[in-house]
Amino acid sequence: MPQANLFERIGGAAAVDAAVDIFYRKVLTDDRISHFFDTVDMERQRTKQKAFLTMAFGGAGSYSGKDMRAGHAHLKLTEEHFDAVMENLGATLQELQVPGELIAEAAAIAASVKNDVLNR
Amino acid sequence: MRVAFEGREHDLAAGESVLECLERHGEQVASMCRAGVCQCCLLRAESGEIPGIAQQGLKESWRAQGLFMPCVCRPTGDLQVVRTDAIPVFHARILDVLALSPRVMRVRLSTPDFFRFSGGQFIQLVRPQDGLMRSYSIASLPGEEQLEMHVAMQPEGKMSQWLAASPGAAVEVRGPLGECSYVEGEPERPLLLAGTGTGLSPLYAVLRSALLAGHTGPIHLFHAAAEPRELYLWQQLGALAAGRSNVRIAASVPGGEWTEPGISALPLPDQLLATDLPMKAARAYLCGNPDFVRSTRKRLYLQGMPLGRIHADPFVPPAANGTMG
Repeated sequence: MPQANLFERIGGAAAVDAAVDIFYRKVLTDDRISHFFDTVDMERQRTKQKAFLTMAFGGAGSYSGKDMRAGHAHLKLTEEHFDAVMENLGATLQELQVPGELIAEAAAIAASVKNDVLNR
Repeated sequence: MRVAFEGREHDLAAGESVLECLERHGEQVASMCRAGVCQCCLLRAESGEIPGIAQQGLKESWRAQGLFMPCVCRPTGDLQVVRTDAIPVFHARILDVLALSPRVMRVRLSTPDFFRFSGGQFIQLVRPQDGLMRSYSIASLPGEEQLEMHVAMQPEGKMSQWLAASPGAAVEVRGPLGECSYVEGEPERPLLLAGTGTGLSPLYAVLRSALLAGHTGPIHLFHAAAEPRELYLWQQLGALAAGRSNVRIAASVPGGEWTEPGISALPLPDQLLATDLPMKAARAYLCGNPDFVRSTRKRLYLQGMPLGRIHADPFVPPAANGTMG
């Protein structure tokens, strides 16, 4: 039997909707990275979190490596910042009681853009 | 990068906003807050990409038409833009002006025919002689005879001083704009209304809309005045709350020993923290001082309120280099 892709198994668009506010609140209160996310335009920032989660969940995101580089280059991010986002992603999925093996798959997708995000 | 404005092409300097670029090349574009809030400088893009921040707070149909605010638009490619007449213009007259406190006056306008609005939305008020423009919230409700605004008296304020001296004068009313109005169909939802200074004016309209609609959920209204003479409408609010167990009003006024129930010197953010309103289930209206509005919106969101239920109406003062006074 062919296995459904991660996005379907994790719960599709509804899972993204369930996760986005939990995730955005976590990063907004994480002292290591909150300053990158604390903007006047919260609606737009929230939309960006949705796009990120869709990508991490294996959904048809519109991210390309080039977008990732262009979008993050000016932030001068470090390993610590990247790890903080990964931790918040994991904690969000745990809070939603997503099975561990699916969390690992999502984390692997998110980790695959690390070099682009850190501009290396 | 280049910006074409009504057919004339201009070079965009690095880091420059579209508004700054057009002004540098001698184009006349009206502006006020220059912070992406008042919508006075609105233009329409015919081609090119508009960054999201330049469309924040605009209604969906306007975004779709390519309307944007050039004051906060720093594009990543070429743009073709034109003026827009998307904001309807009406003609009205100043009926009367009344001091509500030593710092705040009530200005009432004749309601133009066919002007459709919800209480709490805002208008751009224009002095016809020279185009001087300011944004004011509408404190009255549809169906009421006059259009009511609450205007803070500024010692050097061009518009407030002129309004105070000009009953009978003709004005232009552009709008209505904004989303700061009562939402029908959820009579049990807890409502948090919090504002500083004349940020009370849209809240007054939202409160009265809610009562008119028979709202049964709890309504907590908080008003912060920077000083005692900025406090206004306190008696009227008390009368609205009297006999209604679901309506609570409170004011934060620094300086002074307050004995009147509801008024205290405790800062507004602290009063909000102490409220027992269930924030996750509530809808909030935040008006007035931009720092207060932004920090409170963030705090409510972190307390579990969805962004879609937080109506934020920051009152951004005119920028020093705005073209409207």
